[in-house]
Parts: sequence; C-alpha cells; structure tokens
Amino acid sequence: MPLRLLKYALSKDYPGTRFFKAHETPKKSYDVVIIGGGGHGLAAAYYLAKEHGITNVAVLEKGYIGGGNTGRNTTIVRSNYLTPEGVKFYDASVKIYEGLSEELDLNLFYSTRGHFTLAHTESAMRTMRWRAEVNKHVGVESYVVGPDEISKACPQLDMSCSGQAPILGALYHAPGSVARHDGVAWGYARGADQLGVEIFQNTEVLGIDVKAGKVVGVNTNKGYIATSKVLSAVAGFTPRICEMVDLDTPIVIHPLQACVTEPMKPWLDTILVSGSLHVYVSQSSRGELVMGSSLDPYEVHSTRSTLDFVEGLTSHMLDMFPFLSNIKVVRQWAGMADMTPDFAPIMGKTPIEGFYLDAGWGTWGFKATPISGKTMAETIARDHAPDLIHSFRLSRFEDYELTGEKGAASVGH
Amino acid sequence: MKLLTCPVNGTRPLSEFVFGGEYRVAPPADCTDAEWAAYVHNRSGAPGIKNEWWYHAPSGTWFIAERNTLTDKVMRTYLKGQEGSK
Amino acid sequence: MSARLAKQKGEWINRSTAVKFSFEGKEFSGFEGDSITSALWASGEQVIGRSFKYHRPRGILSFANHDVNIMLTDGMDTNIRGDVVPVRNGMALEAVNTDGGVKKDKNRFIDSISPLLPVGFYYKAFHTPRKLFPFWENIIRKAAGLGVVNFNYPRILKRKKHRHCDVLVIGAGASGLSAAYEAGKSGLRVMLVDENLQIGGSLGFDWGGTQEAANLLKDLLAKVESLPNVEVIAAAYAAGYYPDHLIPVVTADGMIKVRANAVIMASGAFEQPPVFRNNDIPGVMLGSAAQRLLHRYSVKPFSNGVVFTANDYGYRVAQDLLEAGIKVAAVVDLRSDAKDGPLAAQLARRGVKTISGSCIYEVQPNAGKTGVKSVTVAEYDEKLNEALTRSKVTIDCDGVAMCAGWAPAANLLYQAGTAMRYDYGVHQFVPNKLPAGIFAAGRVNGVYALEQKVQDGARAASLALRHIGLGTPELSSVSPSNTAQSHEYPVVPHPKGKNFVDFDEDIQVKDFINAAKEGFDNIELMKRFTTVGMGPSQGKHSNMNAIRILARVRGVPVEQIGTTTSRPFFHPTPIGHLGGRGFHPHRLTPLHDMNHKLGAVFTDVGAWKRAAYYQVPGLSLADTVLAEVEAVRTKAGIIDSSSFGKIEVHGPDAALFLERFFTGSYSVQPVGSSRYTMLLDESGVVIDDGLAHRLADDLFYLSSGTSNAAAVYREMQRWQQMWQLDIGLVNVTGSYAAINIAGPLARQVLSGLVNVSLDESAMPAQSICEAEIAGVPVRLIRVVFVSDTTYELHIPTPQAAFVWERVMGAGHALGLKPFGTDAQRLLRLEMGHAMPGIDTDGLTNPYEIGADHALSLDKPDFIGKRSLQIIAKRPLKKILVAFALDAGYAGEMPFECNLVIRDGEIEGRVTSIAYSRTVGRVIGFAYVAPDHSALESRFQIRADSGALVSATVVSSHFIAMQK
Repeated sequence: MPLRLLKYALSKDYPGTRFFKAHETPKKSYDVVIIGGGGHGLAAAYYLAKEHGITNVAVLEKGYIGGGNTGRNTTIVRSNYLTPEGVKFYDASVKIYEGLSEELDLNLFYSTRGHFTLAHTESAMRTMRWRAEVNKHVGVESYVVGPDEISKACPQLDMSCSGQAPILGALYHAPGSVARHDGVAWGYARGADQLGVEIFQNTEVLGIDVKAGKVVGVNTNKGYIATSKVLSAVAGFTPRICEMVDLDTPIVIHPLQACVTEPMKPWLDTILVSGSLHVYVSQSSRGELVMGSSLDPYEVHSTRSTLDFVEGLTSHMLDMFPFLSNIKVVRQWAGMADMTPDFAPIMGKTPIEGFYLDAGWGTWGFKATPISGKTMAETIARDHAPDLIHSFRLSRFEDYELTGEKGAASVGH
Repeated sequence: MKLLTCPVNGTRPLSEFVFGGEYRVAPPADCTDAEWAAYVHNRSGAPGIKNEWWYHAPSGTWFIAERNTLTDKVMRTYLKGQEGSK
Repeated sequence: MSARLAKQKGEWINRSTAVKFSFEGKEFSGFEGDSITSALWASGEQVIGRSFKYHRPRGILSFANHDVNIMLTDGMDTNIRGDVVPVRNGMALEAVNTDGGVKKDKNRFIDSISPLLPVGFYYKAFHTPRKLFPFWENIIRKAAGLGVVNFNYPRILKRKKHRHCDVLVIGAGASGLSAAYEAGKSGLRVMLVDENLQIGGSLGFDWGGTQEAANLLKDLLAKVESLPNVEVIAAAYAAGYYPDHLIPVVTADGMIKVRANAVIMASGAFEQPPVFRNNDIPGVMLGSAAQRLLHRYSVKPFSNGVVFTANDYGYRVAQDLLEAGIKVAAVVDLRSDAKDGPLAAQLARRGVKTISGSCIYEVQPNAGKTGVKSVTVAEYDEKLNEALTRSKVTIDCDGVAMCAGWAPAANLLYQAGTAMRYDYGVHQFVPNKLPAGIFAAGRVNGVYALEQKVQDGARAASLALRHIGLGTPELSSVSPSNTAQSHEYPVVPHPKGKNFVDFDEDIQVKDFINAAKEGFDNIELMKRFTTVGMGPSQGKHSNMNAIRILARVRGVPVEQIGTTTSRPFFHPTPIGHLGGRGFHPHRLTPLHDMNHKLGAVFTDVGAWKRAAYYQVPGLSLADTVLAEVEAVRTKAGIIDSSSFGKIEVHGPDAALFLERFFTGSYSVQPVGSSRYTMLLDESGVVIDDGLAHRLADDLFYLSSGTSNAAAVYREMQRWQQMWQLDIGLVNVTGSYAAINIAGPLARQVLSGLVNVSLDESAMPAQSICEAEIAGVPVRLIRVVFVSDTTYELHIPTPQAAFVWERVMGAGHALGLKPFGTDAQRLLRLEMGHAMPGIDTDGLTNPYEIGADHALSLDKPDFIGKRSLQIIAKRPLKKILVAFALDAGYAGEMPFECNLVIRDGEIEGRVTSIAYSRTVGRVIGFAYVAPDHSALESRFQIRADSGALVSATVVSSHFIAMQK
C-alpha cells in the first residue's frame, strides 16, 4: 500500500480538506468570469491563474461542478484525428493528460490502453489509412492493422461480427486512453481554488451585459458581477449563452447517450470503436463496460434517455461480443452535445469584445479538456488566440474555411 | 417524443421518420456574402419552439413539425404550404 | 440444521419436488419454487456472498433484489441474483468475487486494512511516481469487478413484443390490484405487471400475525381474475419510463414494449436499512426480508431475533416471527414513546419486551463473523442522533430484523418527470406534481394502511380513466399516512464504523462525512465521490440514507438536498433482452442470384450488396480484377448496376426542376440525350453526381451512384416542397434493374438482341432510347463511364434475370465476362472519372475537382450557387489532378491516402491510385497545391515506408496514354 494512504489510517481526525472552498456570494467584480464549472471552464481558470497570474477569476456553475458533459462522457482520450491541426491540438492534450495526475496530485486513473477504430467496409479502411497517414506525419502513433492484430489485442471479439459486418482492419492508436472524468473536473477545481480562483456552484448566469460591443458584466441569480472578460464554456448550453449576447453560431444541440453494465472482472483491455456498428466500448477500472453510440438523430435540449438508443447499441454489442447476452446494463444516461457542421470546436475571440467562446465540443470535449483550458487561458490573458487553435476560430464559417474533420465524417462509414 | 404525427399517414413511431433540420428561408440572392455565409452555416440553436422539416420515410412525405426543442413536445404538424389549416 | 418451517398456506414452494444443487462444492437440496437464497438459508447457509470492496461475509439483506449481497455464478452465467432467481436441479453455484471461495476468501484481509482505504482512496494515491501506476492499476482492476464473464455463453435471441393498452398498472400489491380492478371495470384494456413470481405484493407476506392481508389478497385476486380485459403478467418488471408512455416490460422470455394511454405506478417502496455498526453481518436483515422468507418459502430467518424498528411495521414483523415460532428477544424502537403504545402492549402480552428510545449500537458477530452472536442496545438521543453508550445492554440473539422505514420505488415516476416533495408526515418523498397520464398509488404515494392502499388504487384508476376520456366520478383523495412510516434519521454513529449505508459498495457513514469534508457536499458530487448508489442495485437500499446523512452534515432539511437523477433501468437488464434479434437490413439486386452463381464475392455499398469481383479458381484477387479489366478493354464486360439510383422527373417543369437542383443546364437538352448532373449542398460542397437522360420534353430519367441515391431523392422531394413546381418525382430504383455492357465488342454482343440500331450515328455517346431486347422493353443508354463503348440497359425488374441470361448467352462466344466493382473502379480511373466520396470529401467544392465546366453560373439559381460566388473569390487551396508515376516505375507502390509532401509539409493526398495494365503505368488522382496542377508538374508522394515517390500531372484521360 502506498504510504500516502497511511495518514488516513493513522490520523484521529480525517485529514482530508475541501477540494474547493464553498463560496456563496460573488464579489462585485472580477477580472475574468468563466461561465461553466465543467472540465473546460475549471481548466481555463486553473491555467489563467497558474500560467498568466490572473487569479481574480470567478467560475460560475449553474449546478454542481463537472455535472455536465464532463461527468457524462465515456472518458476516452485520443488524438487520432484527420486534419493536421486536429491531430496537433489533441496530441497536445494527450501530452498534458499524461502528466496531469501528478500535476494536480489527484489520481485520474489515466490509463493508456490502446484504441482500435474498427473498419468493416473498404471505404472505412480508406478513412483509416488517411487518418494514419496524417497522424504519422504529425508524429502520433497511429497505424492501420489487420484482423490478426485486432484479434490478438481482443481475442473475445467476433471478427465477423456475427456474420453481419466482418472486420477488415482497424486504425490502431497507441496513445488511446481512458481517465476518470469526474476527477479531471475536481482536480482542476482544487488547483484553481488553491491559486485563488473562486468557484460558485448553484450560480446561474441570467444575462451578459454588453455595452458598445464590449462585455461589462454578467447578471446572475446571485447578483450583478462587473467584468470585462467572460468565457463561455458551457457545451450544451452554448446557444443559450450566445443568445444573451446576440451571437449567432452554427451550434446545434443533439443528445449523446451512453450506458454501463454491471461490473465484471477485467477482460477488455483495449478501447474499441466501430463506426459501422455505431459502438464504442471500454472497460472501466470498476469493471463496467462503458458504452456509447452515435448522436441522437435530432435536436433536443435535454438529457432524456431513449429505448431506441440502448436497443440499437446492445444489438450491435452482441454482434461484436455474442457472449454478453446475459450481462446486464445497469444504467443509461445522456449529455447534450454542442455540434458544429465540421465536427471541430469553436474556440477563441468573438465579434463581442471580451466575450470568449469555448464551444462546439460535440462528442469530443473531454479529451480536449487540458489543452482547451490552456489555450483559452492564453487567449483571454493576451486577447489573442494561439496558433494551435487558429483553425477553430468562429470566423471560419464566414470565411468558408471549415476544418477538414468534416471530411472524415462524410467519407464512408 | 417517441411518436410523431405525419399529416398524411397519421401517428407513427419516431423510427419511421428522418429529421430534416430547422425550416429556414434563404435570404435573397443579392444579400451580402456575410449574410449568405451566416444563412448557410449558422443555426438558431437556442431552445424554443421551432418549425422543422421531418420526413416520413416509408411514404416519402416531407412535412413541417412545430416542436419545442426543450421539452421535445410537438405542437402540430402540417404539410408545407398548408400552414393555415389546423 | 434445517430452518424450514412446516407447510403453510400460500407458500411458494412445492414440497413434493426436491431440487438438488451445489454451492461452493457442497451439495444442497431445496424445493421447486425456492430461490437460490431461500434454499441455502433453509439449509443453514448464511454466508452466501462477499462484499465488493472489503470482502465481508454477507447474507440476506433485502431478499428482494434491492441489494447484491448474494451474487453467484453457475459456471455458465454470472452475477446471478440468488435472492430472486429460482434454484434449479443440478446448479453448481459459487459466489462471485472471492479468492478461494466464500468461506475462506483470501481477500477478507482487506476488511482489516479498511482504514487505509478512505473514501475515494484511489484518487489519493498510486499516481506518483507515474511509472508505478500501471502496477497499481493492474491490482485495482483485478480487485474490482464482480463475476467472471463466460466467453462461451451463447448469443440468446430474445423476443420483443409490442403491446398497446389503455391502462398499465405497475405493481400488483394491494393498491395495484385495486387500481387494475377499478380500471378494468370500465371494460378498457388493462395490463397489470409485477416483478415477483407471484402477484400480491406485500399482501403475500406482510401479515402482522393475522389473516387480514391474505384474505384481502384472495378477494382482490378473485375480482381481478373476473375481468377478462385485465391481463396480469407476473415475473415481469417495468424496466424504465420513456416518452409517450413507452414502458419496456422485461420477462424471462424477452421484452414487451408496452405503450399505454395511462400508467399507474403502484410500485411500492424499498425498505431501508437502519445504519449501525455491523448491520451487514449475515442474519441481520430487513423486516420485509424476514417476512418474505417466512411466508413465501417457509424458512426461518433466524431462531432468536431482535427486531430493530422505528415504525409500526416492526411490530407486524415481530408478530409474524412469533407466529412462526421464532423467539423475539426484544423489540428495539428508536421512538421514545413506543413502549406505551398498543402495539408494544400486544407484544408484551406474548412476552416480548419493547425497548423504546433506543437503538442497536452494534452487532457482535460470532467468532467466524459468519453470523450474529449478540447485539448491544443503547439509548438513542434523537436530537444529537447519537447512541448514549453509558447505558448499554447486550442481548444474545442470532439475527436482527430491521424496520426503520422506506423509500418510494419512484424510479419510473422520476423518469417520467414527476416533481416529488418530502412529506414530513410519513417522512418520505411522495409525488407532488404528476405528468399527464401518470398516476401513483400506494406506498410510492405515501399510503401504507391496507384499507387506504385499496382506496388509493381505486382513486388512481379513476383519474386514469378520466385522463383517457371516460367521465368518472370524483373520488375523495387519500392522504398519505399520518404516522411516520420512516424514521427521519435512522443512523447510529460508531467510532469504529462499519455501519453500512450502501452494501453494494461498502460505504459507511464516515465515508459520507469525510466526503463532505473534502467538499463533496452536493448529493450528485457525493454520489460520484463515494460511489453511493452506483452499484448494481442503483441505490435502492442506500440513496435515502445518503440523503438523510448529507442533510444532517449540512444542517439543512432533506428536501433541500434533493435526490440524484433516476435513470433506466429499474433492474439491470440483460443485453440480450435489450438487443433482441438484431436487425441488419440490406438490399439485394434482382440479379443477386445470377451474380452468386457466377462466383461473385459481394461487398457492401451503402445498403446494397454488390459484386466486388467474380472469383476464378486459382487466380489471385489482383489478377482476377486485372482479367476483368482486360476483358472490358479488349472484348466486353458486363456489370450489374441495379443499385444505381433511378429517379423520374416528369411534368411541364421537369427541366426547370433540374436546372434548380443541379449545377448544369437542362432546359435546352435534346430529347434522347444524356447530360452530366452535379449536386451541391447550399455551402457549395459536392454531394453527388450522375446523369440526366431526357426521354421527352416533360420527362427526365436520372441515374446516380449507389450510396447517395436514397438521400438525394429525399432532398429532391424536400426542395420540391419548397419550390412547388409542376412536376412529379418517382423513385424507380427498385423498379428497374440495370446492367452495363462495356468494351469494344459491346455493340456486337447486343446488336443481335435489340430492335434498334446501335450504329455510332444512331446511338452516339450520351444518348438514350427506349428499345426492346429479346422482346423486353428497356431503356438503352450509351454511357462512357468505364469505356468509350458502353451500353446501359434499364430493365423492368421482373425481366432482369431473363435479359441478363440472354446477354450472357449472346456474349459467350465473344468473350463477354462479368466484372465487379473493383474492376469498375480501375476502369473508371483509366477513363479519368473522379468519383464523389472517393476523390472528394465532405468539404470539396467543384473548383477543387476542376469541375468548372459542370457549372452553369449564368442560370438564375441552383443549389449552392450563391456559395460558389463567395468561394470563387477566395484563393483555391488545393486541386485534384490526374497523375502518373514514371513509366517503368518499379519502386514502392504508394497507396490511396498516402500524402503529397512538399518541403516536409502536407500538400495534399492521393485519393485513387492503381496500376493500369492498359496504360502500362501507375495512375491516379491526388490533391496538390494549385501551383502544382499544371500538366507535366512534378510532385512527391510519401509511400508507407516514408520514401518519396515522384509523380507527374497528366491529362485525366489516362486511356489516351495507352502504350
């Protein structure tokens, strides 16, 4: 047993202290107000304080920290994207993640398990090859593997998928990992809190005060806060926040659902994704299979569950793993994914001075948490977005310069 | 919503329908480039009651549904061009 | 040492049929109708499981699938709930998650080092130094998890049924039966489902020493059975609530997807354990568990027990224990006024002492911790919520029945969006505002007394009928019970802990207090940090106590804490039930069997199965494809193109419709000719291409590729809705089969079969005519996709096979060979045709593929035109070019998707590449920078090994390069 657990056994009084202070009422003004106490908002607060010395920061969370998509995703971290700008960005995130448990002194169970994107059709194989080439170019370890290598990594997988969709190969992505999603939010919250950032739960933003094209404050259920810089990091609530400043974006909200099984002894060591069967699955450190599928097909601003989702997903799980017939699904849930037309985020400055956007995270927000925090902190501190996120600027839509991630999504399934 | 009422074929399970996005009217061709780019890419993403395209796949019927995207409740459905009829 | 009682009325077991089975290697016997647990308990086995984290011995807690103390494997299946799964002959059972068996589990040492494992311990350690984490992770992963998965378990296809009913009643206890009867009297279709093997709910076991409940059950059953329109399904649980009253009901056989006009939730309540030290020792169980054992299985829960209660229910349990001949050593009641009440007096008359204002401070386990030796009772200070340990008494006993209160089984109510409130009369959450069509009755509604439950069921039924539209008389409301059925804080602190709140996850009181100290003092955060309610029983026995503890820690009322979100499923539901039989729709062409006979190997193209190539024994795949290509280039080939999209646009505005929909111009297109069509989306991205054949002034016949056909037709319909032109659209994809005959001898193959002239002048490229082939009317089209001489026949589907055979027959002597999609791709490449989806991606605009010629920008409008005007002003970033590798190139072969590299950076990528035997070169398409796009430009492709391969931009009509 690690020695650091000894103090819990030996202390008479429990030695744990609050991860973050229980602030109730915000001050009259802050240098920066961050809307959204999820992983992204908390990470931005942390890096603002740590790397830019800006500590007079309030994080406003409508509910409880990490309660949005941070706590609802299937915890996969990877960087095997299609475009060089995407791969570089997510690779930078992976690099931070690898050392994040130590940095935040909180075990995030960052577990590098390898990630297979299965291809069942020739056109999917083409996309795998394309991604592999771009990944390789950027220096990310991804390559196309054949059925034998997949079988070796996951001998339980029915390579014919019950005869329905034989697996032709896969994109193997060595850095593919999973982590404890809640821990990421809590770790950043603690880190930010220790540096002086104030975190307010149950604090809802009711309006953003813009005068002459500049942010001057926010209205909350706990009163008015004067500030010249506001970051919106609210994922599924982005359209509501943007409406407050009369900013149009391409973002549309679709629920993304997931479910878990009962715990079982570990057998699935890798992370598997099948585009054709719309399944992604990994086994958590608790032993549950954590499973997700494609987005819900239409816009809804709610986290309701549907039976269609879990029926479709489990049916395809059985194609891949027929022996799971009597393994039980314990729970299903949903998050609200803020989708963009080119499957890339919207980050950086906006036409409203002092209003910064960290949005469009769709189904890929968790993996970007550290790097989005870092780059948004820099954008706010310098009022200038770093090159790493230039491709993700809001103005790309007006410029007809959508990112190429759309290519991957539309070329075959 | 789990059931949807096609104005032609009646109430059917949602699995028979395809979502076609919000019903929108394009700006005139002489609009500015920025206006056109905004029309093409931007959406009114905030929750509320919206007119949406829905397609009943088995019968090939496009129609408009007036739906609250927050509660997922459908107020009414009608064929394009028959907005007035209830 | 049998704990089985003499036969009694209403028991679920069939004593005439013995069941033999083994548990952990030892032989046991029970009766048909026994659950695994009841059979073991009857045989004196009390340690049937080990806890998840500390590996503590565990026996019965709820005996109702509200906990997972008893999870077993039979070697085939795993995570079997012993409490509710019937025992079967020959079962060889073991507890899950032990190392060396349930008795001698080697991991039981973890219990003694539990102070080293504080709440969330895994967040606090093991991550530094970083390189040691995989070591610790491996240990933790292995320790976690419950059962071992059997990789040979068969795929079981469970049935799904769809049912509609007027009223669905969930739960067949007193209120549910009453509701079903009252609703059923209207003659409407009523379904009554209950998860238990037999219906009746607590009427079947909560007797309180009298026959009142059993008699009421008999009466209600008879009433319900008298109504043929009421369908009763036992052993069926409502797994979740989904919008529009869709409720999947899970049975052993499968899933019934019930859609109801109204739903009455009479789902009862989960009994909640009071929290005190060692409340998990086998023999300590909920009062309702003891009653279930007694009355369903005629098994003694223990022989000398203490009842620890905080409500009147505990006295009913005590009476039932006494009736069964079990000694009740004492009733310990948290309430200070209990001993003066009539219930205590009744018990006193039977010699049972009531100790009020007191709690069980701790349980002393026996030497092996396998059962109860005694309990220590102390006064309980209801203000401080502490045991006053100065006045402890120890009572010898071998079991405890716990009756501290209930939590509503409101899972589906929450899922349906019910607003709940905390009722201070009964001390539980009850529905405050029910959604339309949802009704609640009985304990879930806070109603506990027998008579009132019956009334409440009738009231809910009446409201449900009114909701459906039947006028029903107003029934007086039934208020929640006015005596507290639950204690507001049944929690006894103990310095040594092991007072469990969540038995699935081994969570003790101090874990909550410590979690709050660390800032996790919001119920959702607390759930995530402590994992309370995250185990397989999903908080059924633990959430309410967690809420009470958190309220106390924060010093706020319970309702301010709120509850965690309820999610499906009510009980964990098997993947096989949910997945069902699976559904993989695919489309076969009318010529599928013909292709199959010819040795076709099929590939998926969109929803279709198409022939990829035709296997020739002894020939490699590459050579097979080259041979198919060669046949087309030197003689003739035939391909089944039936999956192509085929759409008719007819009517006066047909040409106008095409002009608006596609990029080209069609109004002046001559009848009998074919023109290229390109479809953009509104942002100017290339979506699809195809051909428009004009058959008459007011009739166009459109053909397009396979994958997009359905989506393109759908878009046409939508735009037509907006444009309201005078046209009709007909998707005739399935009405016509299509075959192409291509190659220099194609004309010769067909000339004897068709009734029209195929001369170049009569049938030039890009022309169409209606003809007959072997007497069958066909549309005959001259296309140039795979070779200069190609005839495409569109044949009414029923005659397709006949025509195919006639063509094959006619071509036999000329060397006509079938070819598949693999050869087709190479053939079209040789012809210089780029393909959307292969040579374009989701962002490609027409300028990037050099398709300017396909754009009629002088038309008033077409989809995407306005965006093209914007795009045209911007510098082009890349362009698709045709290229060839040097003649005689023999180095590493580049592949599709290899990158075009310039100065170490990505310039573009190869989209198509193949060695063409016809041309004698490696040819392909690639995206390059515009300044590399001129003919003869040289650029570099990086092959898989990293080697750079030079390529030259050439004219896309590769075939003209023929050696």
